[in-house]
This record gives sequence, structure tokens and C-alpha cells, in this order.
Amino acid sequence: MRRHAGRLVLAATLVLVAGTACAQASRDGGVPFSADEQRRILAHGPWPPPRAHDPGNAQSGRREAITLGQALFFEVRLSSNDIFACATCHEPALAFADGRSRSLGRGLLERNAPSLWNAVHERWQGWDGAADSLWSQSIRPILHPKEMNASAAQVREFVAGERELACRYRRSFGKPPSAAEDDDEAVLVNVAKAIGAFVATLVSGRTPFDDFRDALARGDRRAMARYPAAAQRGLRLFVGRGRCNVCHSGPMFSNGEFGDTGLNFFVRPGEVDPGRHGGIAALRASPYNLLGRFSDAGAASPVATKTRHVEPRHRNFGEFKVPSLRHVALTAPYMHDGQLATLDAVVRHYSELNLERLHADGERILQPLHLNEGERADLVAFLGTLTAPDLHKWRPRAPPRDACTVGAP
Amino acid sequence: MAEEGVKRSSIVAALAPLLIAGTAHGAGECAARLKSAPAMQADRDGYSVAFAPRPAPLATGRHFALDIAVCPPYGGGAPRNLQVDADMPAHKHGMNYRASVTSRGTGLYRAEGLMLHMPGRWRFLFDLQLDDRVLQLAHEVEVP
Repeated sequence: MRRHAGRLVLAATLVLVAGTACAQASRDGGVPFSADEQRRILAHGPWPPPRAHDPGNAQSGRREAITLGQALFFEVRLSSNDIFACATCHEPALAFADGRSRSLGRGLLERNAPSLWNAVHERWQGWDGAADSLWSQSIRPILHPKEMNASAAQVREFVAGERELACRYRRSFGKPPSAAEDDDEAVLVNVAKAIGAFVATLVSGRTPFDDFRDALARGDRRAMARYPAAAQRGLRLFVGRGRCNVCHSGPMFSNGEFGDTGLNFFVRPGEVDPGRHGGIAALRASPYNLLGRFSDAGAASPVATKTRHVEPRHRNFGEFKVPSLRHVALTAPYMHDGQLATLDAVVRHYSELNLERLHADGERILQPLHLNEGERADLVAFLGTLTAPDLHKWRPRAPPRDACTVGAP
Repeated sequence: MAEEGVKRSSIVAALAPLLIAGTAHGAGECAARLKSAPAMQADRDGYSVAFAPRPAPLATGRHFALDIAVCPPYGGGAPRNLQVDADMPAHKHGMNYRASVTSRGTGLYRAEGLMLHMPGRWRFLFDLQLDDRVLQLAHEVEVP
């Protein structure tokens, strides 16, 4: 009888202890991540990563060129009709995107404007990766007839005719934009390198996820508990059943490559966007790629390894870049042509994925997740924690008041 | 008696290459040619390919090179050419980049431009162009 009573007491004690542990977990809001899940979470940091430079751009990191590039980035007079600047489709207040499904230039463009935050940490630029550097990417919209529609001669004439810009150009490149030894194209490339140097400075700050990740790394449960429970559950789905981290990997939450995700990629009836397939063709044809004479690094440089070795495959057709998920909550609408309006719609797309829309030789890693409403909300809550709280505070840096300043003594 | 012993030794010596031919190199034997650890090794039909990533260890999302040693079986011919690739069998896709291979002396090579763009199980493929066929050696590795 006494032994029986003892067993009852022991069982009751275990229930109490378990209950206490559950209550503790509930109070903490903590999700008990497995060792494997922890390893995958830690792979998304640390942030910020080591400083990066625009490849093939000797001006990247140089204050004078950054000042010039910032001025040019906001300059509508770089376009043929004085209406469009880089900032028209990459507005600072909209996370350096434009909030539209497809950008509006001299007509409706075919793709969504990607955010420029952290673009310097991208391997390829653009949804199709047609550019291998920020500076080469900057040239395309300046010349594109449906965008800024300028010519190299117009760009040179404008920069040479503006005293402050011409002065900063001379300081950056050691000669004026009117230098006889440079042709129009060389000046255009220099202008693009200044813009690239500016864009390379746009690296976002730390996010609530980064704080959680670092707290996890040092075993700081108190700090971990400050991370919302819904975000923790969403994170667990992200690195677990959802396997989102297979493509959205690393500190950028992107592997920097391209994928077919079963999206509609018709530009208009009967015409498709070739995506990465066209991007590789454009990259190879471009005189401004890292293998060309305009690169400051030289074709044999390690920064040109990706360009030397990239190889078109049949499966590239209809593939688009895996976007970074940092500050993704601020960059609606989503996908290469903005066809999904909200993050919930994106999560729903993967949840109910139509496998028949994937290419026949597409990757077999995508499977419908069949998430319930709560799980979708958890994933969206997690994605919301990938935004740096101070992102909206970004303002253009005031140019130094120096000998280049118009009106300076 | 002593003469008979010499004869027996000669027969054994003559047979030894035949016995050894077609056997794989022992663990570490081919890798030792790389002079830098750690190396992985693929074996088939007596041929061995030892290879080491540079930089090490393997990681997703960055370009890397492979230092490679190709070791033919005793009596086997050296390959005329080597091609290197990698794929993810479970995902049914390969790399997005084509590796280039350069010779660095007898049996030594360097493959450049590889990149594994997803975590998971990757398979390195080494195609040896022999006189009469292409021999493919494979080695799988889990990449975090």
C-alpha cells in the first residue's frame, strides 16, 4: 500500500515538473529548437557580413566617388526627358524599390524593381542576373529606351556641363569628363562606377532575427525570449518542414542563384520572360561584364570567376533570382513581376504549389507544404522580423562643402 | 635448393604486377600526392581520384577549386583528359557553373569555378578519358 502510494506521489511529481517546464516554455515563448534546427538557424548569420565592394570597380569604397554616385543616383537629368532618375524606381522611402508590380518607365516595364539594399552582397544583379556588378547593372537603365533612354554622349555632356559634378568626377577619376583621351563610352562607364560605389554603401542594419540568432549562438535564453513566439514558430517552419532555407540560405537569406518556382512568366499573351536563360545570354554579350576591358579588376581576377564559369542550361528558361528576404516585408508586391501582392500570398503560393507548372526538368525540391492558416501567419511573422528597424531612417548624406561645392569660396 | 628459391622469387616478382593491376589504391595513397590534407577519394576499376577543396572545407554559395590527383592502377594507362562536374542526385540538378581543369604535372590537376549552391548531398563526378572509354568516378559528400 505504501509502495503504491509512493508511486502515485512520484507520478504526480513528474506531472507537476513537466507542467512547470511547459509553463516555463510558454512564458518564455520559446520554441525548443533541435540541434539540427539550431545549426540551420545559425547559418543565417552573422550580420552584417564582412564589407564587400562592387567587383571590377576601383571606385567602390572611395568617398569622393560615393558622393558623386549619390548625386547621380537622384539626378533626373541623366534621362533623356529629365523625368527619370535611378531613384524613380528605387525610392529610399520604399526600401529602394518602387512598390509597383512592374515598374513604370516610358511605358510599363516587364519586371518588378528589386530593392537595392544589400545589393553589393548579391552575386548577380537583376532578376535574370544579366549583370555581374553594380556598375554594369547601372548602365542598362540609363541607356534602355523604355527607361532613362539616354546615350553615352548625353551623359557625358550633362556631367561635363555641371560644375560640381564635373569637379567631383575629376577628383574621382583624375581627369575631367571632357578629357580628350576618353570617349563617351568611357565616361558613361565611369558615371556607372560612381553610381555603383554609392549603391554599394546600402547595407542594412541588424534585425530582430539577427539579435535572436546571436542570442541562440551564445545560449542567452533571456535574450532569445524577446523574439516573438510566432516568429520562432515561423522560423522553425522556415528551416524545417518548409525547407525554405535550401534556396533562401545564408545571412542574405538567398543563395544568390536562380530557380523555377512554378510562377506564371508570361509578359503578355504569347510572350514569355526567358528569365535566367536570357540573362546569361545578355551577360555574355555585354561589353561591360567582368571579362571586358572596362573592368578594373581584369578578366583573370578572382572576382570574375563567376562570369568565366557560368554556364547556360536548358533549365534556366523561366528561372528567376532567389531574392534576399532581408526587409522583405517592405518590398511588396513580390516575385519577378510583382504578381503576388502580399507575403501571405507568397506563402500561400508555396503552400499550394502546383507541381504541373514546374518545368519538366525543374528542381524536385519544391513540394506543396499544405500549411494551415496559423502556420502561414507564423511564417509571415518570421519574415517580418527580417527588417532592420532603422531602415526608414536612411537619408542621403549631405555632400561635403569643399572646393567642388557650387558657391564655395 | 638455393637455385630453386631464386626461381620461385622470380616467378612471384613476375606475377606481382599482374596481381596488383586492377586493384584500387589504398586509402591515403593517392591523396598523399596532393601534399595537403584533408582529401577525399573516389575509386573505380583500379583508378583513384583524390581531391581536396580550396578553400576548405566545402561550403555552399561560394566558388572554390579542387586540387586533384589521378592515380591509375599499376600497369594501367594515365587518362588523356579529365573533366570535373558535380550534381545533386536527389534534386536532379547540377551546378550552375562549368569547371575548367588544368594539368599541374603528371597526374595532378586543378579544377576551378565550381560552386555548390544548395546545402545537401552533392556528388562529385570525375570523367577520365582513357584510351578506349570514359571512366566516371563519383564521390558523394554532405555539404552543410
